[in-house]
Amino acid sequence: MDTTASDTLIRTNLDFLRRHAPFDRMEAEALRFLGERLATAFYPAESEILMPEDGPPRFFYIVYRGKVQARQVGGVAVTEYSTLTLGPSEGFPIGAISAGRPSTNGYIAVEDSYCFQLPAADFLKLQELSPTFQLFCTRYIASLLNQSREQLQVQFSQRAAEQQTMTTSLSNLVKKDPVFVAPGIATRAALEKMVEAGVGCLAVAGDDEKPVGVLTQSDILKRIVLPGFDLTRPIADVMTTPPHTLHASASAYDAALEMATHGVRHILVVDTEDKLKGVISERDLFALQRIGLRQIRSGIESAADVQALQRASRDIRQLALNLLAQGIGAEQLTQFISALNDALTRRIIELNLDRHDLYGVEYAWLAFGSEGRHEQTLSTDQDNGILYVLPEWADKEPLKLRLLAFAKDVNNDLAACGFPLCTGNIMASNPDLCLTFEEWREKFGTWIREPHPEALLNATIFFDYRVLYGDEKLAHKLRHWLLSMTGGNPAFLKAMATNALDVSPPLGKIRDFVTDDDPRHPGTIDLKKFGARLFVDAARVLSLRTGVDATSTVQRLRQGGSRIGMPAEELSAMADGFHFIQLLRLRHQHLDTDHGSSGDNRVKPDDLNELDRRILKEAFRQARKIQLRLKLDYQI
Amino acid sequence: MNWLSRLLPGSAPALTPEQQNAVDSLATLPPPDPGRSHYETRYVVVNTETGPMEGGGQRLLAVGAVALNQGLLHPGDAYRARLGSAPADALIGLVRFIARAPVIVFNAPFNQGTLQRAFEHNLGSLPELDWIDLMVLMPSLYPERISGQARMDAWLGAFGIDRLDRQDALLEALSVAQLLQVALARANAQGLATPRELLDTQSSRKWLRGS
Repeated sequence: MDTTASDTLIRTNLDFLRRHAPFDRMEAEALRFLGERLATAFYPAESEILMPEDGPPRFFYIVYRGKVQARQVGGVAVTEYSTLTLGPSEGFPIGAISAGRPSTNGYIAVEDSYCFQLPAADFLKLQELSPTFQLFCTRYIASLLNQSREQLQVQFSQRAAEQQTMTTSLSNLVKKDPVFVAPGIATRAALEKMVEAGVGCLAVAGDDEKPVGVLTQSDILKRIVLPGFDLTRPIADVMTTPPHTLHASASAYDAALEMATHGVRHILVVDTEDKLKGVISERDLFALQRIGLRQIRSGIESAADVQALQRASRDIRQLALNLLAQGIGAEQLTQFISALNDALTRRIIELNLDRHDLYGVEYAWLAFGSEGRHEQTLSTDQDNGILYVLPEWADKEPLKLRLLAFAKDVNNDLAACGFPLCTGNIMASNPDLCLTFEEWREKFGTWIREPHPEALLNATIFFDYRVLYGDEKLAHKLRHWLLSMTGGNPAFLKAMATNALDVSPPLGKIRDFVTDDDPRHPGTIDLKKFGARLFVDAARVLSLRTGVDATSTVQRLRQGGSRIGMPAEELSAMADGFHFIQLLRLRHQHLDTDHGSSGDNRVKPDDLNELDRRILKEAFRQARKIQLRLKLDYQI
Repeated sequence: MNWLSRLLPGSAPALTPEQQNAVDSLATLPPPDPGRSHYETRYVVVNTETGPMEGGGQRLLAVGAVALNQGLLHPGDAYRARLGSAPADALIGLVRFIARAPVIVFNAPFNQGTLQRAFEHNLGSLPELDWIDLMVLMPSLYPERISGQARMDAWLGAFGIDRLDRQDALLEALSVAQLLQVALARANAQGLATPRELLDTQSSRKWLRGS
């Protein structure tokens, strides 16, 4: 090799690279490594550079001159774009070559183009040499995660036809300038203004235009007309305060969730300075959906019997499908399902209270397991219990019998509404799970003191409790006590951590995934047992150790993780991994329900598209990462 | 035929025994198969840098060469030398670099002519080589771009190829090599898939033009 001649040609390569990101920031040694190894190839217009059928790419390409188009090949869209044009300095196929798999796109020169090509092995070596380049590639692959979500939208769009998206921002939905009055104005004048403007909801805002309250049409009857409220008094005395507000950048979905959670029909929209921008009503959101949240919600609230609630339950499923189709992420979707299921359960309880007299009894209806964590999917059976206070004057037996009879009816009604009875009898009608504060404390205490396998299994279900109906303070007191017990008990935490490490992520050394060896389900992975559970269990240990009240896995990860000094970025990556697995589960359950077979958690990696497979792999790596942290912390 | 036989008695340059050995051994290299496809062939683009000679004409000052191997330009596969005080070594190096690959030039009458005079003058002989002139071939490959013979600048401009430095024989060779990539893509599309077919086309073009 003639070194001076080669140096000259390498320099011409480097001169080009240095003008473009990410090479302009690349370390000198890595850049030199790259410049030495780039060969230049020419592709005439309309010629194929790289196709999926070529197998794992042998080269990484950088466009030197010309235009290259990435085109979707095959029936299933993998990325958000159907075609994407790459110009000088842009590289491809980063994802496929990193994963060592055939490209999902075809790459075609759309005009006469020169491309640099770097052998695949050197591409990987370059990532080792250059943190800059590695970061660039990692970010690129991470962006594919978002695209995968977008892809859902495409996949389901036929079913969700004629629907506007729930991801529209509120600023797009606010049509009229807000009608508002000052808090000091007389109520009569305020009502006149409502009539004049023809609105069902009047905002009250100060001189700074920041909303302080709200009055709706339904309030007028209850708070003004019937009680004979003095109309000369200021509106501030009768308005609802503080009002429910959302920023204009929030989505229609956010507003729907807010309404569903708080049972309100209007949301005030504010700008970045918290000034009132407009009012969004349920009716506005209703226009966005075929099956309206409003209908479901009011269907639940006004349901007179179980039959009406059964309809609502079916609607919840349909709504979930629509939202999934609209590309809403797993986090929001499960929250949504959770909020509506909570409302449904509360209504079932209310209906049963008409028949069971529990007046004066202090109690709380608890949800355990995934329901307790706000992480229900659509094929979750019921896990619930009762926490109650035994008054000094009362006999325990008759009170408990009354609670059990009530619980039995609620359990059966829940089953009728699509929440199957728990096969393990984790239900409030089980006398062992209808307990007083002291009894629960005793039960939890025994598990913590003697963490044998069954106790640990119980802890994973019952420690994720949450109040669905009744006395929240009672449950908080119990939580407070529980966290004080676990936080200072390393032996129990170690036992929980060991339990959490029982199952490893199904990542193979040779193949990408280790699938189930159960002959009834060949080639599948149980995404609950080998996926979601890994995150859930690890996050629970974290929360019990650091005293996090929250029961949701992501909250536990974020709050608990930051309390022990894990970087926020790392925690976000773990949360993303968990969400992706949840999303796959939901998608799988939805699809299979539609095709007639029962929704389960078994996914065949081979049936996933290339991109999902890669992201799933990354999600499992995140599970491994959090497990590793537990291993180190507890020396397991 | 041994090209040493072309040696003209009495005009032999003073080569050292090592140089003579090198020249002799290069002549025994087996030629590559001209019937293989472009994408299995190593072409060598050769370019010259010249200066005015006393008494008129151009004198060879430096050579630059870039290989196009299996369709690819590798920065490591390049050669450059100034003739300077050791012209024989510079030219032996070039012939060794070419290694009997088909040689590509733009404007053979000038480049090939200058080089062959230098070979004869400094090595006392002409290496046996296949020469392909893009100036002759390009109009038959891309008649829609430029119909007749044109200067290098015109062809480079037609394909948007940068001419990095016209003073540097190597960088100009790089530009010509990029033009060769364009040429081979079209040649392939026209069914001219091998160096031999390019050589045949070139002869018929020359014959047509009466040269």
